[in-house]
Amino acid sequence: MWEFLIPLFAATVQSGTPILYATLGEMMTEKGGVLNLGVEGIMSVAALAAYLTSYYTGSPWLAFLAGGTAGMAFASLHGFVCITCLGNQVVSGLALTIFGLGLTNFLGVPYVGLPAPGFTPFDFPLLSSIPVIGDIFFRHDMLVYVSFVVPFVFWFFFRRTSLGLHVAATGEMPAAAAAVGLKPIALRYFAVIAGGFLMGLGGAYLSLAYTHLWTNGLAGGRGWIAVALVIFAFWRPGRAVAGAYLFGGVMAFQLRLQAMGTHLPSSLLLMLPYLLTIIVLIFSAWRGRRIDAPAALGTNIEPEG
Amino acid sequence: MTTSAFVRPARVRPLPEDAAPVVSLKGVTKRFGKVVANDGISLDIYPGRIKALLGENGAGKSTMMSMLAGRYQPDEGTIEVDGVPVKFSSSKDAIAAGIGMVYQHFMLVDSMTVAENVLLGQEGAFFINPKEMESRVNELARSYGLDVDASDYICDLSMGERQLVEILKLLYRESRILIFDEPTAVLTPEETNRLFEALWRMTEQGKSIIFISHKLEEVIALADEIAILRRGRIEGELDPSAIESKADLASRMVGKEVLLEVNRQPMDLGSLVLEVRNLTGLGLTDVDFSVRRGEIVAVVGVAGNGQKELVEAVTGLVKPPLDTVFIMGQPWRKFFAESTWNRSMCYIPEDRLGLATLRNQNLVDNLLLTTRKGFARGMWLDKKRAERHTVKLIEKFNIRPGRIHALAWQLSGGNLQKAVLARELYREPRFIVAEQPTQGLDVSATEEVWSRLLEARKMAGVLLVTGDLNEALQLADRIAVMYRGRILGMLPTSEAETASRIGPLMAGVLD
Repeated sequence: MWEFLIPLFAATVQSGTPILYATLGEMMTEKGGVLNLGVEGIMSVAALAAYLTSYYTGSPWLAFLAGGTAGMAFASLHGFVCITCLGNQVVSGLALTIFGLGLTNFLGVPYVGLPAPGFTPFDFPLLSSIPVIGDIFFRHDMLVYVSFVVPFVFWFFFRRTSLGLHVAATGEMPAAAAAVGLKPIALRYFAVIAGGFLMGLGGAYLSLAYTHLWTNGLAGGRGWIAVALVIFAFWRPGRAVAGAYLFGGVMAFQLRLQAMGTHLPSSLLLMLPYLLTIIVLIFSAWRGRRIDAPAALGTNIEPEG
Repeated sequence: MTTSAFVRPARVRPLPEDAAPVVSLKGVTKRFGKVVANDGISLDIYPGRIKALLGENGAGKSTMMSMLAGRYQPDEGTIEVDGVPVKFSSSKDAIAAGIGMVYQHFMLVDSMTVAENVLLGQEGAFFINPKEMESRVNELARSYGLDVDASDYICDLSMGERQLVEILKLLYRESRILIFDEPTAVLTPEETNRLFEALWRMTEQGKSIIFISHKLEEVIALADEIAILRRGRIEGELDPSAIESKADLASRMVGKEVLLEVNRQPMDLGSLVLEVRNLTGLGLTDVDFSVRRGEIVAVVGVAGNGQKELVEAVTGLVKPPLDTVFIMGQPWRKFFAESTWNRSMCYIPEDRLGLATLRNQNLVDNLLLTTRKGFARGMWLDKKRAERHTVKLIEKFNIRPGRIHALAWQLSGGNLQKAVLARELYREPRFIVAEQPTQGLDVSATEEVWSRLLEARKMAGVLLVTGDLNEALQLADRIAVMYRGRILGMLPTSEAETASRIGPLMAGVLD
């Protein structure tokens, strides 16, 4: 039993990591009051940017940052449309996803199947020797270890810094923030771009640590799962971790079932994560906790007068 | 809520001879387009005193306070703080000068704690500590005797407690002048009492308070000085102890002098268009009156005495009790079930850009809002014909800008009101409910609306709800005075003493 479960859980952590980055990115954006449905597109673009950087420079760390930067650039496009031009947030996000997927498919053609340097797993000193826990959590690549820290930083940012408080106030009630002399527009840009950075890191993980080579459709719907997970997590980073690993688990399990040669058709198994998404959304709605959503989420700040 | 409900602390508070005002308005004028919202206002605010600003809706109270709070800039005149002229370009400047305002709609983040709301933007450091923030706010609350727990979430607080949080925000920013815009509108009587006690305590610490209200009892109980604002001007300043009666105050607030006169000839009365029989409930008590074709019946009173409830009951916005409201001879249930788009009832609401029109739609669509059925051809809408009629109505009512594709919000208040009137009269109504039809309009627009309403008597009966006594006297055949949900008197305007009887009735004085 253990010899089956431990590798499964380890794989769970690995496939949950890009989802975790993306979920926290979307959560950051939504905390500031902006809905970004472009996660899938942003992750794709970031995955390609990271891959190309690594391919040409050979530096995985530079590539990782390039992924985050590409995410920021793409997200700021969404910010410009929604925050400055007061465009519809849903439409802009969807457009971003479609554009991002098309762009990466087009630009990535010459590189399909070519490997690039990335992050490889190593045993984390000391911690990896803890029985079970060490095997599950501490025999991964560096980006997984980084992802362990991000939720704490996220929590600390919103609970313990004034900037986090200002961003949250902007997502809840921009008028109240403006009334005390804060700048809601700037704060929203911050949330959108910082969120884009995290989404970009999630995308970079896919090409740098998950595959080490370029292939089309790398994001594989993870961006959409992240959007759903933010609701599932009630906008709390701790629950985002649980949600990301739950989905990572389903993905890993599905792969394993296929490898074991089950009679179930693989397309049915591939549906599992999305079926779970629907179940999770119904469950969240049924619990009626929508009240936790930032009150001004999805509404633009109209100029006065 | 009677005057005796407020226990005023015994204090002798004559204004010292050498007192210098903290804030002075000197000849301040503010215009919005052609409408003069504030006209040469001069007012002094002294430290440690409560100045009540009394006035009807649309008298210019909010405009004046928005200038003090830095939201608008005066067109003429100056504002002085400590004797030095200042120019505020934003609310930030006003806050820095020590002027803070509690708006009617609270500016609080529901999902955050009291401490976070009070300190928002004033945390003092990048890293924050919730416990330390709470103790800072609790200490501030204690020093002013305000009963709030800084760790509570706003969404769990009552309206009265939320108001205390707004006050704490101002106190933390060391505001010396605190402006309250209709602060008791959302409070229970008990909470009102507590607010007043808090306000008195703050004056003892040297804070100046400006209290905007149209509630006479509260103003008399609370204020050290009363300024009456009417039609954008300071009508007079009074010492509360010198007020002989509430009636006196009420009539000074709504005014008596005639600003505009129209030539009104009585018409022959036709059939009953509205009958209200012993309507009790919805905040109304024993309301009983009727309107006939050919007459205008005005409902007047200090705002908040049941006029809004009466209009809602008559227009079907809320369900009145059974067998109390009869429109064109039918009980309301039957009337609303069978009502047609024309030759029926129409409603000209007070809220022109919310209830009456869609702000982002053009004049054609706004015309179709209530006349849709008149332009239907089977299941299709004849929009071309609607456009042609809009052009005609724009011409007939002289609506500017004269483009049918102008959006509702682009029209000035007067033009928008004319557009609403044009639409409603196009329906050839038999019964018109007009609510504050000339509020905020300039003289020429007011005249136009008046003459249209008088003309409409040929086909309809009109229920006119107004805060403008002159309007009631000029237009109406009979005036109903409302006080606390009752009609205290139904006075014919043909009698000379009517004008002088309205004031006392508005204050609830029967003799």
